[in-house]
Amino acid sequence: MTELFIRLMRKPQGFVGIVLLALIAAACLFGPALAPYAPEKIDFLGRFRAPGWQNWLGADQFGRDILSRLMVGARSTVPLAFIATFVGSAAGATIGVGSAYLGGRTDEAIMRTIDAVMAIPGLLMALLLVSTLGNGAGNAVIAIAVAFAPGMARVTRSAALNVRNQDYVKAAIARGEGAPWIIFREMLPNVMAPIVIESTIRVSFAVMLFATLSFLGVGAQPPASEWGLMVADARQHMHQAPWGLIAPSAAIALTAIAFNLVGDGLRDALNPKDER
Amino acid sequence: MLSVTRRLFLAGTAISLAGLPRIALAEAPKRGGVLRMSVDQAASVIHPMLARVNPEYLVTELLYSNLTRLKPDMTVEPDLAMSWEPNATLTEWTFKLRPGVTFHDGSPLTADDVVATINAILDPKTASPGRTNVGPIKEVAAVDPLTVKFTLAGAYADLPVALTYLNARIVPAKVIAGDLASLSTTANGTGPFKLASYEPDRRIVVERNPAYYDPARPYLDRIELLVYPDRTAEASAMISGEIDLLLTTAPGEYERLAKADGVKALRTPSGQFLNINLGCDQKPFNDVRVRQALALVVDREATVGFVAGGYGTPGNDTPLSSAYHFYKNIPLKKPDIATAKKLLADAGYPNGIDLTLVASDRPSTRTQLGVAVREMAAAAGFRINVQTMPHATYLDQVWKKGNFYVGFYNMQPTADAVFKLLYTSDAAWNETHWNNADFDAVINAARVETDEAKRTALYAKAQDMMNAEVPSVISAFFDLLAAQRSYVEGYALHPRGSVFRLDMASLGAGAPKRA
Amino acid sequence: MSLAWFARRLMLMVYTVIVVSMLVFAITQILPADAAQSLLGENATPEVLAALRTRLGLGDPAWLQYGRWARHVFTGDFGISMRTSLPVGPEMLAALSRSLLLAVSAILVTLAIAVPLGVVAALRQGRLTDTGVSLIAYLGVSLPEFVTATLLALLLADTWHWLPATGYVSPLEDFGDGIRHLALPVLTVSLILVAHVMRMMRSETLDVLKSDYIRAARLKGLPERTVVFRHALRNALLPVVTIIALDVGYLLGGIIVIEEIFAIPGIGRALMVAITTRDLPSIQAGALIMAATYAVTNTLADMAYAFLDPRIRYD
Repeated sequence: MTELFIRLMRKPQGFVGIVLLALIAAACLFGPALAPYAPEKIDFLGRFRAPGWQNWLGADQFGRDILSRLMVGARSTVPLAFIATFVGSAAGATIGVGSAYLGGRTDEAIMRTIDAVMAIPGLLMALLLVSTLGNGAGNAVIAIAVAFAPGMARVTRSAALNVRNQDYVKAAIARGEGAPWIIFREMLPNVMAPIVIESTIRVSFAVMLFATLSFLGVGAQPPASEWGLMVADARQHMHQAPWGLIAPSAAIALTAIAFNLVGDGLRDALNPKDER
Repeated sequence: MLSVTRRLFLAGTAISLAGLPRIALAEAPKRGGVLRMSVDQAASVIHPMLARVNPEYLVTELLYSNLTRLKPDMTVEPDLAMSWEPNATLTEWTFKLRPGVTFHDGSPLTADDVVATINAILDPKTASPGRTNVGPIKEVAAVDPLTVKFTLAGAYADLPVALTYLNARIVPAKVIAGDLASLSTTANGTGPFKLASYEPDRRIVVERNPAYYDPARPYLDRIELLVYPDRTAEASAMISGEIDLLLTTAPGEYERLAKADGVKALRTPSGQFLNINLGCDQKPFNDVRVRQALALVVDREATVGFVAGGYGTPGNDTPLSSAYHFYKNIPLKKPDIATAKKLLADAGYPNGIDLTLVASDRPSTRTQLGVAVREMAAAAGFRINVQTMPHATYLDQVWKKGNFYVGFYNMQPTADAVFKLLYTSDAAWNETHWNNADFDAVINAARVETDEAKRTALYAKAQDMMNAEVPSVISAFFDLLAAQRSYVEGYALHPRGSVFRLDMASLGAGAPKRA
Repeated sequence: MSLAWFARRLMLMVYTVIVVSMLVFAITQILPADAAQSLLGENATPEVLAALRTRLGLGDPAWLQYGRWARHVFTGDFGISMRTSLPVGPEMLAALSRSLLLAVSAILVTLAIAVPLGVVAALRQGRLTDTGVSLIAYLGVSLPEFVTATLLALLLADTWHWLPATGYVSPLEDFGDGIRHLALPVLTVSLILVAHVMRMMRSETLDVLKSDYIRAARLKGLPERTVVFRHALRNALLPVVTIIALDVGYLLGGIIVIEEIFAIPGIGRALMVAITTRDLPSIQAGALIMAATYAVTNTLADMAYAFLDPRIRYD
């Protein structure tokens, strides 16, 4: 693991990515403690205040400090995107590996069905699910997880198919090991690398999908300081107070970039022979 | 005793005898041109009896006519009815129709059409919102082809106003007898425009009705209605000249529009309001002290700032704003946290109280009010959790059932209308369940009172009662905001919010030539 | 490609469409806020609501409702919209045509920009151009569509007044105006697609440039231009075709946001409205159409793939 980390840090993109991630993690952990103001404190007189010494990044339409909302909002935005991706990946990985193990007709049937489900665009699937389950951040997480699962299943299955044909798996089957044992002890660990890479990149999609759902009004609800919701609100006042739009957008972009960079970096670090 | 009323109604007749409503303009409006108008949601329903939202009221107003119409000062003028007269006890009203009016298909308008329309609206099977809003009509009959007699269930002074209701547009009797549902996709009315094309999510086009009963109107050749779901983009379209008139806009965009070249921003105070409905028949709001405590934490002027962007007037827990005729100017309640805390303690909540406030997501100002009230009320010990939900779910699960939710209402044509809609025990939408018999008595007395001074006193008492007992917290009234290009003439915002009178609009100098 | 291959693809498409329709139907069944209440609103008495529910068949068991719907779709009848009382089929197909116009234009613009950029970045790997191009690519995929759309509209429409901010004018009615109105939405979608495609193009070109036969071609003394255009490009384009096919899925989804902001009455908007108003027939029809479009595009992509690389055999 440490060796992996060192290899990751050696590349410029890995390095930048890790640094950004560390910043974001810090915001998630210490944000509320370090924020200068309470994120929901309304200051009627300070509405739309421009960035200055009082509000470093300015104030929104309720006079709430944008910097504080960003710092506290990290907790609403990033971990939720993380969880959604994790759950989606776990579900997808299980299906993908299981399907690869079962092989033959079953594998094909499962994959064709997965392909069919993927014909529904991710955003549409998330929208449908959120309408069914109800608005709110929690349901948005479930919706995103379900929307991601088929894609992850596909990726995992290709990797797993590779692994299945390896000797150690054939040996395990010959030994008479049970299916769950083979899947979880032999195949899954070796499939981890592509799963981790794909998941890391997907977290950035989850962040953006979350923000889009909030924009459409079905994700996080006011007065949460979720970044996507901040952008959606700020859009309505963007001609009066453009800083309200730029700060959370930049935060979303940086987070997405961070995960993208780390994902790319991981891909390079885990496949050292591919020089790009 | 009836002299005041008689005079007012005779005045109504006089205008119609003089001919048709005159517009006081320096010069006659230019005839011709195409008006491009934008709305924020599709007019999914063009059935006049079933229309429910402003774009739909707009379309049905273009295609159909009522018996009477509301002027911008909230008084009534003739439309399809030329004159009207009540009997001595205000229980029977006779309306005389305008001769020579035809529907779009050429068939003549007669009293039978009016009778059939009113009956259809009153029929529960039609499920028309107008059913409880056109007044206490017991029976309607055709006396002769141009005269209609309404027999009411009780004395009612406001029937002409009630008949301006947005769903009380007159449709042909033969359509009602044949296939009423066909009005959802086709139109056959007496309005100033005819339906040219109907693609609800994209564009609705109406063209001048050459057989409209006033040959001078409408001035416009054609109106195109386009859907712009995003307010910001809509304002951009107005500024760049893509659209000539927009129905309604938000405070944030209003400021941008007011500064733009060639754009005239429109604003008028209205009786549209957000409130917080308190279920007065359940804990904790069955205790008037809790309600009064909540009323005392709200900074009303601040609420106007939050939810209306400053474009509004503060409310005093009564549904009447200064735009209403019988408004009483009660001194505005100021926030008083200490008294609020004491009231809560007296009511048995010395350590505060936990509540969940439901706000539907349409319009978004509901949530803004919820959030603002939450912050303000925290100081007195109210721990409020604001729960947003989709409008459809809200209608299904919370509206009229919940005991603590944010409501939103357009201005009604009369004080009686709004009290009877929301706050009497027999109200159509009795959301607060206040069920105050004394209040009911006052409203019922005012309804049949013809003496102006006495009526004013009664409505003043009603407002005092609501102000004191707070069945719902009403802290802000909205100004209506819209915008038009400078070359649009003859259009004014109507405080009712759902009356548009586009047959008076015309395009002046500088209007682009459109195909 | 044999007839058998086509037959298989067709069956797959049908299977996809069936799975999608069942899935969407199942989800809509669980939607809270019953359609009748949504339709009639605040003023319906319980009796009227009950009557409407019976008329719409909302009380029947799910499988019965689905069977009824499927039977009608088979004959081309997508039902009547619960919201507007207009037939769903024609409305949805008209909306689809507008979305397709946007999507196809965006793909063409993307190819025109991303392919050259990707190749240039590969040829100048490690240098400033490469880094600059990569940076823009990263930004393109790191901002949600509604942010990109907002920023582009703010810049190009509101500030510089180059393009109209919103609205849709049918090119059939007024070609010039129609194109002007499409420009901003197409640009927004392209920006994101360009980011994807360019990165793929770049890495594929890099791969191909290092391959043996390219080295052989160079050693043969062929001019660099011939090497790049005739040999490298053709092979690098292959995965790009796959990427575009996958991106159609993203396009169909992301288009919801674009159409919302730019007021384009396309299928994304139609679905959005259908979902918020619980207009079940429209939701089902819209999802079906999207799935069918996705399936058809994938098949076309596979055909293009086979065309570009004759080594690929389909049986």
